Amino acid sequence: MAPRTDLLQGTLDLLILKTLVLGALHGWGISKRLRQLSGDVLEIGQGSLYPALYRLEDRGWVTAEWRTSDEGRRAKFYSLTAVGRRRLAVERAQWRRFSAAVDDVLEAT
Amino acid sequence: MSARLTSLPRLIARRLRALLRRQVLDREMDEEMRHHLELEAADLVRTHGLTSDEARRRAMIAFGGLTRHAEAHRDARGIGGLEHLVRDLRHAGRGLRRSPGFTVSAVLVLALGIGATTAVFSAVNAVLRNPAHDDIAVLFFRGFPSLSAVDYLAIAEQQRTFSAVGAMRRGEAAFRAGGEPERVRVGRVSSGFFHVIGVRPVAGRLLEPGDDLPGADRVAVVSHALANRALGGAVAAVGRSVMVDGVAHTVIGVLPEPADALLADRADVWPALQLEPPTRRGPFGILVVGRLAPGATFESATRDVAGISERIFPLWAPAWSDRSARFEALPIRSAALGEEARMLRLFGLAVALVLLIGVANVASLMLVRAIGRAREVSLRSVLGASRWQLVRLFAAESALLSLIGAAAGVGASALGLRALIAFGPRMPGLTASSLDLRAVTLAVVLALAASLIVGSAPVAMLLRHGTTALSSGERAIGGGRGARWARSGFVVAQFALALPLLAVAGLLLTSFARLQRVDPGFDPANLLTVRVSLPAGQYADDAPIAAYWSRAIARLRDLPGVREVGLASSLPPDDFGTSNDNFNLIDRPASPGMPEPNAPWPSASGDYFAALGVPLLEGRMFTHNDTGPRPVILVSRAWARRYYPGESPLGKTMVRGGCTDCEPTTVIGVVDDVRYSGLAGSLEAMYSPLAEQWSRTLHMYVRTAGAPNRLVEPVREALRSVDPSVPLDEVASMEERMYTAVAEPRQWAALLTTFAVAALGLAAVGVFGMLSYLVGIRRREIGVRMALGARRATVVRMVLRSGVAHAIAGSAIGLAAALLGTRMVAPVLHEVGPGDPATLGLATAVLLGVALVACWLPARRAARIAPMEAIRLD
Repeated sequence: MAPRTDLLQGTLDLLILKTLVLGALHGWGISKRLRQLSGDVLEIGQGSLYPALYRLEDRGWVTAEWRTSDEGRRAKFYSLTAVGRRRLAVERAQWRRFSAAVDDVLEAT
Repeated sequence: MSARLTSLPRLIARRLRALLRRQVLDREMDEEMRHHLELEAADLVRTHGLTSDEARRRAMIAFGGLTRHAEAHRDARGIGGLEHLVRDLRHAGRGLRRSPGFTVSAVLVLALGIGATTAVFSAVNAVLRNPAHDDIAVLFFRGFPSLSAVDYLAIAEQQRTFSAVGAMRRGEAAFRAGGEPERVRVGRVSSGFFHVIGVRPVAGRLLEPGDDLPGADRVAVVSHALANRALGGAVAAVGRSVMVDGVAHTVIGVLPEPADALLADRADVWPALQLEPPTRRGPFGILVVGRLAPGATFESATRDVAGISERIFPLWAPAWSDRSARFEALPIRSAALGEEARMLRLFGLAVALVLLIGVANVASLMLVRAIGRAREVSLRSVLGASRWQLVRLFAAESALLSLIGAAAGVGASALGLRALIAFGPRMPGLTASSLDLRAVTLAVVLALAASLIVGSAPVAMLLRHGTTALSSGERAIGGGRGARWARSGFVVAQFALALPLLAVAGLLLTSFARLQRVDPGFDPANLLTVRVSLPAGQYADDAPIAAYWSRAIARLRDLPGVREVGLASSLPPDDFGTSNDNFNLIDRPASPGMPEPNAPWPSASGDYFAALGVPLLEGRMFTHNDTGPRPVILVSRAWARRYYPGESPLGKTMVRGGCTDCEPTTVIGVVDDVRYSGLAGSLEAMYSPLAEQWSRTLHMYVRTAGAPNRLVEPVREALRSVDPSVPLDEVASMEERMYTAVAEPRQWAALLTTFAVAALGLAAVGVFGMLSYLVGIRRREIGVRMALGARRATVVRMVLRSGVAHAIAGSAIGLAAALLGTRMVAPVLHEVGPGDPATLGLATAVLLGVALVACWLPARRAARIAPMEAIRLD
């Protein structure tokens, strides 16, 4: 297992929104998808995931509904709203600016 | 930004839902997390080939504390603070219900402490601080608020520092408004009196200038209570004609209800005081009050009236020109309640001490309880509760506790105040007192703050010592050094606070007991007294008055079972009437510039001494020939010893009342001592024969052969047959009077004893609780000691020693405080000093004795610990 990296403060919302772009997922699905996409580097602590989901729901960026999962079990699925999609674009742009700036600083001689 | 703004209504709806549908949401959250765990475990089985149990365990570990996540989730869902508060309080309520003994005792202690303190402070405030009375002065002459008509008229005419001046002469009178005559309290007042006090009538008018001039139509103001009782209500009363001491008065106005208690005097009828132009300096007995003019102070008013006394006294007699004969203007507050104000303050202090002991008691209970819950705290903290959450939890418990205690306390204080008004000492302003909001707020805030601090402090201390308590077992549960110190401090404080209370109660009880043993100078058994007051209308001069008295005496003497009947103007043991007078011995006159001596000076018939059983020691008794031209007196033994030590006072002469042209008065005999100035008062007295000057109001003394109560009705009947229009006071046995003479000291002693016992009980419970708890947590250690051969006696001694050490430390501090504090009661103590070693010693012994018992019970329990069982406990 690759060493896991703690999430940078503020990036959690961006990552959760991103995992939902392809479709609705339940909580565990989100953390699994994130682990896969990051090559097992990024891990959302469950203690952060659910509060974050609730917060996003609160802001109207995701919606949640109870559905039956593939395993035939009742689960709460989260999906992006239109507002959430717009927000994702904004957050992504912000992140790019931010990481580029960090890169510039680090690369500077 | 706009997204957040537009979603505001939705946000509110969601928050409301979160609050209202809490349980549904909690269930959903629970389900979601479980689902997560299952999926994670299944994934681990798939990818790592683990057994399902192992996978589940790993998933759990990866997930971390379920509770912690649930909390974080709820926080996010958050109506944050409010929900936390509700949850914390609910939790606290559960915690308190789990230990009802602790909860009930803590609430009771707080409720009683808060209730009693606020009730007493409200009462003290009402009595001591009536802002409406701030500007009212009472004029004093030689330490008494008793002036003469001359003084009042001179002050009213010459003063420059008052906006209004008034005079009042208290008394009683026969009152008749058509029906049966009754005796009422009367305050004869000048027209300025009500202006000084500042009351307005509820009907009619109050007195106006002119009403109090000699010869004016007789008018009177009546109390609200009397108007309702006898005159058909306030409005109907105005204009009615009523008889006051046989003289017709027209009722012109009715006072408002709270004013009934004006100046400690609950007079029912307030006739206009019509002062004739004076011909001599006395008599005294007039209360003069003044309202300070704007800008004037009590000091400037005193200078003003002292100047008046310097101008007028030389006019009257050289006897009045001594240095101490000056008027003083004192605040009515200190004048109306001298001794009582002091006792009231003492009372307030005692109650406050009990409240403090109560708070210390509850604090130590909470401390013990919190330390005892170290295991629970550790467990919670391991399960993921943050320090802040733990502190909040315990604080919520203390807050809930003190809130309940405070609520009960406010209720109790309302009841307490009512009880105080009903049963407490009679004082002006008390009946009108209501719960003082500031006092209630202060007591509640105090109790809340104290319990919050002590409720959460131990948790903070425990947390500092970390979660090790769980693993290291009970040995660590005693708490950190800080907690130990706090615990000891609270127990010591309770004893230190209780001892001064015990000491004061002990002193008051001792004083009361000695007061009761005082010999009043006569045998109160088989003695009836009744006061008879002849209406001034029918009994205008000496002849009819003397005739009434001799007929009444003859009638009573004829009753079967009556042995002796006597008459006097005074009523021992504590009423010499207004008959205190000054005198100047001719063979040893007062030095120039010094006041003349004075003594109680009642008038009595010769039979009086026979009826009371007071022997004549020397000289002769009064005879029918002692009618005045050559005044004579009998003196008491104490008087003779003081003024003529070692020689006979017979034949000595004196000038009475500063009179320069009167015939000198001659001492004709010495009688044994009788107390007139209270049981603690002096024994000096001088008696004039009644035949020299008849009086309309006298006390009749009936010495009976058997039980006096059987003669009450016959005496009443006999007197009524002499003249039915004469109102009679209650016929009472002297034994009852002796009982009421010590009623006030008895009341104070009883009240303070109650407090002292409460304090004693609290301190005992405090040390008992602490030791029981300590024995509880040291079970193992004690078990090991006993297994290693320690004897039971050793164990008992060990436990006793730690408890009694606290009690001794507390008592030592308390004794020092008591030595300072008991000086407050010194003025009301009779034949016992404020530092009386016997009483203080006894108080300390009682305190330590109770402490010993309170310590012995847990010690005995410790000694009964079965060694093996205690060791196996872990």
